[in-house]
Amino acid sequence: MIELRNLTKRFGDFTAVDHLDLTIGTGEFFGLLGPNGAGKTTTISMMSTVLLPTEGEILIDGHRLDRKASAQKRKLSVITQEYSMRQDMNMLEVMEYQGRLYRLPRKQIREKTEELLEFAGLAEYRRRTVRHLSGGMKRKLMICRALLIEPEILLLDEPTAGMDALSRRQMWSLLRKVNSDKMTIVLTTHYIEEAQALCNRVALINRGQLQKLDAPEALIRELGAWAVDETSDNDLVTRYFHDREDAIAFLSAAGEQAALRATTLEDVFVVCAGRKL
Amino acid sequence: MGIITVLWEKWVEFRRDFYKITVAAMISPLMYLIIFGMGIQTTSHGEPYLHFLIPGIVAMATMTGSFSAIAQNMSVQRLYEKAQDQIMVSPTPLWQFILGQVLGGSLRGMYAGGIILLLTAPIRTDLVFNLLSLFIMLLNGMVFSTMALVLSFLAKSYTDAPRFTSYIITPMSFLCNTFFSTEQMPAGFREIIALLPLSQASAMIRAIANRESPGWFGFAVLGAYLLIFGIISVVFIYRKKNL
Repeated sequence: MIELRNLTKRFGDFTAVDHLDLTIGTGEFFGLLGPNGAGKTTTISMMSTVLLPTEGEILIDGHRLDRKASAQKRKLSVITQEYSMRQDMNMLEVMEYQGRLYRLPRKQIREKTEELLEFAGLAEYRRRTVRHLSGGMKRKLMICRALLIEPEILLLDEPTAGMDALSRRQMWSLLRKVNSDKMTIVLTTHYIEEAQALCNRVALINRGQLQKLDAPEALIRELGAWAVDETSDNDLVTRYFHDREDAIAFLSAAGEQAALRATTLEDVFVVCAGRKL
Repeated sequence: MGIITVLWEKWVEFRRDFYKITVAAMISPLMYLIIFGMGIQTTSHGEPYLHFLIPGIVAMATMTGSFSAIAQNMSVQRLYEKAQDQIMVSPTPLWQFILGQVLGGSLRGMYAGGIILLLTAPIRTDLVFNLLSLFIMLLNGMVFSTMALVLSFLAKSYTDAPRFTSYIITPMSFLCNTFFSTEQMPAGFREIIALLPLSQASAMIRAIANRESPGWFGFAVLGAYLLIFGIISVVFIYRKKNL
């Protein structure tokens, strides 16, 4: 279980994360959503101890997480937004370095590396230097590296950024699989449909503060499960309804420039972020 | 264990860039030896100037090799590649990471100094280099590796590393007992320069080379620098809020 208690991070006068309280259960697939600059990456950076909180604390299974907490850090693996790898190492060296940092036996590192690179379709590039890989390949390598150590908690900061649609879907399958093995996953993403497809619960944060916290379906239900988009003078206005009949009645009165559809998590995000921005 | 991991990483880097590292370690010291030691034929204390110069160049090469191996590399890893994030999140104790970097940097410095010893070996100078000389080179390399670590933690951009070299390494190279004795400097300035680590490392290696005792003061000075910068780098890596 991960607990964020009163977590705050300030950079000078700017408050990036503002007294954030969250509890993420073991085995949960948890999404952190918010507009650019909302504090998602800062939160993940504090959870990986790259940044230290200005106030508050993070607990992993009841124990405080800091840079000395090797036992807690052993449970964690992180995939950062940027390609945080030695650019001059090849794939095998990147994987071996990771394995050594987590004190895995050499045999295990070799076998698991082959298995993961094969699974990710990277095996034939195993001796290629990171700087000569495409963005998608680097991203896959980062995932292989994170999974090498079989973490209990996986922190994912925009893991599918820069991936094509097919690779993204493959990634979703992979993440669902590892989550089904009881791995706790904390995901930040700009692709809201990704969070809707994968997450058990999502937190919407804005300006470092928690705005909403619930299951995607519950947030959608709260806004209204049905949406009618009205287009007029190049402007799009969406209205939300709890009742399908009410939505259809509105649609009938609205004319041809309106369309009925199911509300998505992206609607919740837009409404929530739009109100606050 | 974490120390071995960092040394392994340094070995991977060394093996890959062997020729670049070797040539870079050779060029400047070799130029100084050729120009000042052989081209301009002078004497110092009745001895050929080369006898004075070689121990200083060995100490200088050790300093430059260690400092550049860490300052450049760590700045790029921390600020550009973000590869240091992988270390921060790993369970490897961070003090072991620091110690591994210091030893790795120092070994690179010893390699640079060793190249100079090899290159000057055919010159008949009668200078002595023994295990104690190697230990001083190791200690000197450790001092400059820890300095480089601290500066790389302070760097705001990866282009700061060459600036650190300009501000620290270049002045020390020329002022600290490499090309001329600090005793020839004006009073006041002389005492300050004499307390810098390269001055002491050069003086001790030179004393051994001339079959004299290096004394204990130089070891104390280098030890003090190592302790101070070592503590600062450990405090930074554990306590600095925005690393």
